[in-house]
Amino acid sequence: MKKIILLVFVLALSFSSCEKDDICDANTPTTPRLVIGFYDFLNPSVLKNVTNLKVVGEGMTDGIIFNASATDDSKYLTNGSTISIPLRTIGTTTSYSFTLNSGNPNPALVNQDNIKFDYTTQELFVSRACGYKTIFTLDPTNPYTHTDAAVADTKWIKHISVEKSNIENENETHIKIFF
Amino acid sequence: MKHTLRSFFSFCLLLSLTLAQAQETTPVKSDPKSTKTDQIVPEAPLPLVEISPEIIKSDSIPVKTDRYGIRVGLDLFKLTRALYDKDYKGIEFVGDYRLTKKYFLAAEIGNENKTTDDDRVNFTTKGSYLKAGFDYNAYENWLDMENIISIGMRYGFSTFNQQLNSYRIYNANPYFGEVPVIASSQKFDGLTASWIEVVAAVKAKVFNNVFMGFSLRLNRLVTNKEPENFSNLYIPGFNRTYDGDFGVGFNYTVTYFVPIYKKKVKPVAVPKKVDTKK
Repeated sequence: MKKIILLVFVLALSFSSCEKDDICDANTPTTPRLVIGFYDFLNPSVLKNVTNLKVVGEGMTDGIIFNASATDDSKYLTNGSTISIPLRTIGTTTSYSFTLNSGNPNPALVNQDNIKFDYTTQELFVSRACGYKTIFTLDPTNPYTHTDAAVADTKWIKHISVEKSNIENENETHIKIFF
Repeated sequence: MKHTLRSFFSFCLLLSLTLAQAQETTPVKSDPKSTKTDQIVPEAPLPLVEISPEIIKSDSIPVKTDRYGIRVGLDLFKLTRALYDKDYKGIEFVGDYRLTKKYFLAAEIGNENKTTDDDRVNFTTKGSYLKAGFDYNAYENWLDMENIISIGMRYGFSTFNQQLNSYRIYNANPYFGEVPVIASSQKFDGLTASWIEVVAAVKAKVFNNVFMGFSLRLNRLVTNKEPENFSNLYIPGFNRTYDGDFGVGFNYTVTYFVPIYKKKVKPVAVPKKVDTKK
């Protein structure tokens, strides 16, 4: 009899615990970020690492966190060859400033370029838990606008090429930046 | 719904426990006194009485009859849910017809209007459904009892529409801040779904021809016409859909039995054991 009670309780507990499929799984592809690859201008097929690149969205004070484990300002810096940056899901334009050698004590090395991305959005249903996601299509005639920062110096970005104008996932590089 | 169902299950478990308790038998301690052989002289047997040869033919078993007819009623759970859940309106009529001793034709017909408020989507589902199938009564009734413990199957069909009230965009990288809830009034018409249900039900006669019962249902979708850029997260009759094709259902019914005819229960002839060996 006691065994039966125990069994019933275990069963009841196991049933009560299996609920909640309402949490969006992190592996579910949702709103994609813009994937940018950095390439060598002189050798366009070779990826090239940036040095202390800081990317700040227009109207934002903090940069995009590339290194979440760092505690000081270096968490905003990247030295890799690819970055993924989010686009605004409200509106059809997002501007970013790309600062090379950010935080360098020599102001002559710090170089800021601005890029504005223009696109259209589309909202797609994902699931009950995730709701909808936004996918982007870069404007076919004018996908980006590359300008120099307020401090006029030579632009460090020499060329931008759009590889994929449909931003539907993060598995591929959408934009190539040559410098 | 989730909590109601859960508490209901818990209650059933509790009931089943008490039932099990009631059936437990404690072994009766044998009276130590009786082990002693008392030296009592047995009384003399009663004197023989002459029995009259007349045979009284009054020990015949009364003829047992089964009542056949139609049972109609409604689902109290759906009906009363509107009282405490302002996002729900629904009604379900149930009925069955006794086909043979064990088999019942059974059907449910209903209409639901439910607004589901999830974290990321808020939508209203409106529609009607029809389920038809059979029940098999696995309970052997004593005397003139008419209780039913049945398992059965249904084929369900629903026609409905969905209206998306509001939704949210999922952004795993909310650098520009979390996207607010977006209001919508998109309506998806002409949706249909069909499914198969396995039903376990209990019906008990409470008085005269009034029965009360409940049923638990496991559903599996067969067809599902999904709206474009949305999903049938709730289907009238089927209830909430999960990632797979499965769903669960429940109803709590009160029904009235309308007897139509009676049928004598033939005593089961016990087949004589034939020795097959020759």
